[in-house]
Amino acid sequence: MAQNVKDKEAYQRLNYLYQAAHCVLTQNPENVELARFYCFTQKTIARRLVLRQDPSVKRTLCKKCCSLLIPGVTATTRQRSKNRKCRFTVMRCTSCGQGKGLLNNPDYCLWVDRPEAQLQHQMQSGPSTKSQPEDTKHDGSQSSKSGTAKSSPST
Amino acid sequence: MDESVVQARIPQALVSVLGVESKPTLKAEAFTEAFLKNGLQRTPKCDLKSMLSHKAVVLDFTRPKKEKKNCKKAKGLNAHQKRAMKVFEIKPEHQRYELFLPLHQLWRQYIVDLCGGLKPTSNPNVVQQKLLKADFHGAVITVVRSKCPSYVGTTGILVQEFKHVFKIITKQDKIKVIPKRNSVFAIEINGFISHIYGNKFEHRASERSAKKFKVRGTIDL
Repeated sequence: MAQNVKDKEAYQRLNYLYQAAHCVLTQNPENVELARFYCFTQKTIARRLVLRQDPSVKRTLCKKCCSLLIPGVTATTRQRSKNRKCRFTVMRCTSCGQGKGLLNNPDYCLWVDRPEAQLQHQMQSGPSTKSQPEDTKHDGSQSSKSGTAKSSPST
Repeated sequence: MDESVVQARIPQALVSVLGVESKPTLKAEAFTEAFLKNGLQRTPKCDLKSMLSHKAVVLDFTRPKKEKKNCKKAKGLNAHQKRAMKVFEIKPEHQRYELFLPLHQLWRQYIVDLCGGLKPTSNPNVVQQKLLKADFHGAVITVVRSKCPSYVGTTGILVQEFKHVFKIITKQDKIKVIPKRNSVFAIEINGFISHIYGNKFEHRASERSAKKFKVRGTIDL
């Protein structure tokens, strides 16, 4: 429990940094450097404190140069197919060219989505603050992203 | 199609359905510009002629190197590449004070959230403890004391925090770089003023959240 309370501030900080990157980009879509700096800080904090971040957050960060990937602004999204059967959503960072391919499979369920129910079961027995900051993070990304084009990573 | 149809605003009924809001013209223009700049194909830098003139043509047989293994792993940039790309440098045309005001608003919200309301009754010690681990990007910061007198009184929104340096954007649309060593900074939130001793703060912004601060010595400035 004590661990959770301590981590809450760190999660809030991650959340803030993620939102700040979005905020900077909405103000000026060409100011990629600052957004990248915030995302880089976010990544390093998560690494230092060993915090697990939600896949929906991690999928919007470039692996190579840590910039925030927003389709149309800092990234391109394309549908690619391999031997006509499996299709991928390929997200490519426009500043460094690093690609990110996600398989389009409607039946696939993320690991996080599956034990999410379990975690809520745990919460009924013993309250944990761990999942709460992640939820708020999600909201923040949604609200600031709504102005730009939306993508569907895993549909 | 008529041009006016393309540029027409999205009707109110559709806004909630699509989840898309039409932006004011100025913002929309900035976005289209950025989109075109990123989206258009760049002309290849080196054409065949210059390539041939610079490199010697080797006629010997060489086995093609296997590079697949390296490509598979997504590695970050190394320091040399980062410096070449100017990864974190803010271009001069983006240094406008009013662009950073929303960031400051966001930061204000974050701090109030973090400190649980920040009422006048809240314990200053607890707030200080929380601020120690908090993020200061977007705060309005003032240099209160410094060994170099010309730094004193500089006010602005903190844009970037590095290990030894704060980057501040002032109201005159200028980026100022202020070293942390030997200066004291003040941060104001809702009437609560907190002082930061730069000497004790010489860590990277990300490292500060993991680091333990120890009581050591006094600071006279």
